Amino acid sequence: MNIRQALKMAWRSIWGKKGRSVLTMLGIIIGIAAVMTIVSAMNGYTEKTMEQYAAMGSNKLEVYIWNYLYDEDGNSLGKDYFPDLYDYCNSLKELVAGVTPEAYCNATAVYGTKSSANMEWEYDDNGNLLSSRPQLYYGSDQYSACNNLTLAKGRDLTPMDMERYNQVCVLGSEAAKAFFGTADPVGKAMQFNGQNFFVVGVYAPRLTGEAAKNNSMDNIIVLPYTARRVLGGEAPEQFVVKVKNAESLAEAASRIRGFLKGLVNPNAGDTQVYSNDEWQQSMNEQMGMISLVLGGIAAISLLVGGIGIMNIMLVTVTERTREIGIRRAIGAQRSSIITQFLMEAAMLCGIGGIIGIGLGTVGSYVAGRLMFQMTIYPATWITACAFSLSVALGIIFGIYPAVKAANLQPVEALRAE
Amino acid sequence: MAHLVELRDIYKIYGEGLESEVRALDGVSLTIDKGEFVAVVGQSGSGKSTMMNVLGCLDIPTRGDYLLDGTDVRELTDRELSHIRNKQIGFIFQQYNLIQSLTVLENVELPLIYQGINADDRRDLAMEALERVGLAGRVKHRPTEMSGGQQQRVAIARAIATKPPIIMADEPTGALDSRTGREVLEFLQQLNREGSTVILITHDNGIAATARRCVRLADGKMIEDKQQEVDWF
Ligand SMILES: Nc1ncnc2c1ncn2[C@@H]1O[C@H](COP(=O)(O)OP(=O)(O)OP(=O)(O)O)[C@@H](O)[C@H]1O
Ligand SMILES: [Mg+2]
Repeated sequence: MNIRQALKMAWRSIWGKKGRSVLTMLGIIIGIAAVMTIVSAMNGYTEKTMEQYAAMGSNKLEVYIWNYLYDEDGNSLGKDYFPDLYDYCNSLKELVAGVTPEAYCNATAVYGTKSSANMEWEYDDNGNLLSSRPQLYYGSDQYSACNNLTLAKGRDLTPMDMERYNQVCVLGSEAAKAFFGTADPVGKAMQFNGQNFFVVGVYAPRLTGEAAKNNSMDNIIVLPYTARRVLGGEAPEQFVVKVKNAESLAEAASRIRGFLKGLVNPNAGDTQVYSNDEWQQSMNEQMGMISLVLGGIAAISLLVGGIGIMNIMLVTVTERTREIGIRRAIGAQRSSIITQFLMEAAMLCGIGGIIGIGLGTVGSYVAGRLMFQMTIYPATWITACAFSLSVALGIIFGIYPAVKAANLQPVEALRAE
Repeated sequence: MAHLVELRDIYKIYGEGLESEVRALDGVSLTIDKGEFVAVVGQSGSGKSTMMNVLGCLDIPTRGDYLLDGTDVRELTDRELSHIRNKQIGFIFQQYNLIQSLTVLENVELPLIYQGINADDRRDLAMEALERVGLAGRVKHRPTEMSGGQQQRVAIARAIATKPPIIMADEPTGALDSRTGREVLEFLQQLNREGSTVILITHDNGIAATARRCVRLADGKMIEDKQQEVDWF
C-alpha cells in the first residue's frame, strides 16, 4: 500500500464522518490558533521594534539630566548642561561619534497654505499608516550622526547654527514631501510659531519599502536646540550619545557618568546614563519570556486537543474492528493498518492545523492591532512550525490507537459486531 | 511432491486446562491437494469455522503442524502470512464481510491495493472479476444498497480478483435463499473446473453431497473423509 492510497483512504474516512471529524479537530484548531496568535504577535512586535531600532541606529547611550529646582511659579530653574556635555563628548573622539539633545519642539510648522496643525494621523482600513503629523525635534549638529540620518540635499546643522541662534532647520524626507511635495525645500523659509526658519537641508529616508509605509520616523524636522529661545521649551533633559562601536559602549557610559557627577550638583538635579542596547536586550528577553509563558499555556490546549484525537481514534478503531478484520483477512499487513490509522490521525490534525493557522493569522492581526497598533502577519517559519506541529501531534497521539488496531487478531476482529 | 495443504494432528483449544475448556479442533490430520473440491460438513459448533481459520492463516492452532505448500506456517512472520492471505487464498464468508463505507468497486479492489498494483491495472482486474459475477453495472453502489445475493457475489468477486489458487468459503450460501445459494455453488464448481482448489464449509448435507470430497467433523474430530462422484466435474 503506497502513501497516495493511504492518503485517499484517510480522506474517505474523515469525509465520511464530517460532523465528528470537525468536532475532533476543534481542540487542535483552537490550540494551533492560540499558539499562532500569541507567538506571532509577540514575534511580530519584537521584530518591528527591532527594525525601528536598527533604522535609528544602535550603539547609543541615553543620558538624562533631571533638574529639581523650580521657581515660585513652577518654572524650571534648570541650567542648560548641553554645551558642557557636548564639549566633553567631543573630547572623547576615540569613543564617541556624536551627541545631541533629544527633545520635542511643540511649535506649529507652516509653509504657505500647509500647516502641521492640519496634518492628522490617518490609517486605512487595514491599519496602514496613511499620513502623520510631522514632529519637530531640537537637536545639535550631531543629531543626524546620532540618529542614522544622512543628508540628501543642502547642508546639515553646524555648531555655528547653535552659537549664533540661527533660525534654520533640516527636514526629514517625509516632512519635505508633506510641505513641499516634489519641489526643492532648500533655501525656503518656513514659519514655526510665526518665526521664520530657513530650510538648509533634507535628510535621506531611513526606511524604504514596506517598512516605511507604516512608520512616521522620517516625518521629522530638526532644528538647533538653541531655537528654544524663540520657540519655548525647557532646558533639554534627555540626550543621546552615539558611540563608535559596541565595544565602546561600557567605557563611554562610565566616563560620561563620571563626568556628569562632577558637573551636576546632587542638590540641584540627578543624572542617569543608559545603554540603549541593554534596554533592547532586556526587552528581547522579556518578550521571549512572555511568549514562552503564554505559548506554554496555549500549548496545554494543544495537548488536550491531542488527547481528544487519541480518544476519537480509539473509538474509531473499536467501531471499525470488523473492517480491520476484513482488511487483515484479505491481506493487509500490520504495517498497512498502522499506516492507515496514523494517516487518518495525521490528516485530521493537519486539516485542523490548517484551519487553526487561518484563525491564528486573523488572530495575530487582531492582536497586533489591539495590543501594539501594528500590522502583524505570522512569519513563514511560524506557519510552517504550526503545520508541522499539528501533523506531529496527530502522529504522536495516533500511534497508540493505530498499534492497537494492528495488533487485533484477525479472527477475533472478524467476529466483532 | 508436497501436498497443497497438510494438517498434522492439529488442536485448537480454548481455555485449556480450565473446567470450561473447549476443543474446537481435537487432533485433526488432513491433506488436500491442488485442484480438489472439499466440503467440510458438521453440526453447528463442530469446529468447521475454526478449521477454515487455521487453513486460511487467520488463526494459529494451539498444537500441531500446518504445512501450506510445504512451508510450516508457524515459522512465517505476520508479513508473510498477510502475503499468503492476500495472494494464495480468496475468502468468502457467510456474512459477506464487505466494507460498508466503500463502493462495490473499491471493495473488490481492496486486496489488489494491498498487492501494490497500480490504479489502472487494479481497476481492470476488479472489473473483470465483477463481470464474472454479473455485477459490472453496479460498481458505484454501496453494499447496503444491494440484496444479500448481490452482496455475496461482490464478496466472491473480491475473493477471485487476485486469482488465488485456493478459495475458502465459510457457509457462503447460509444467508441466501436456495436459488441464489445454488448459483453461488455453481460458481464455485466453475472455479474448481478452471483449476482452483475449493474448500467449502457447510452444515447442509445436501450441499456437501455435491462436493467431490466430503470431510465430516464432529466435536472437533474428523469422523469421515470420502471421495464422491459428481455430475458437474
Ligand atoms: N474465541 C472462542 N473462545 C471460546 N470458544 C470458542 C471460540 N471460538 C470458537 N469457540 C468454540 O469452538 C467450537 C467450534 O466453533 P466453530 O465456530 O468452529 O464451529 P462451527 O462448526 O463453525 O459452527 P457453526 O456451524 O455454528 O458456524 C464451538 O464450541 C465454539 O463455541
Ligand atoms: Mg462457523
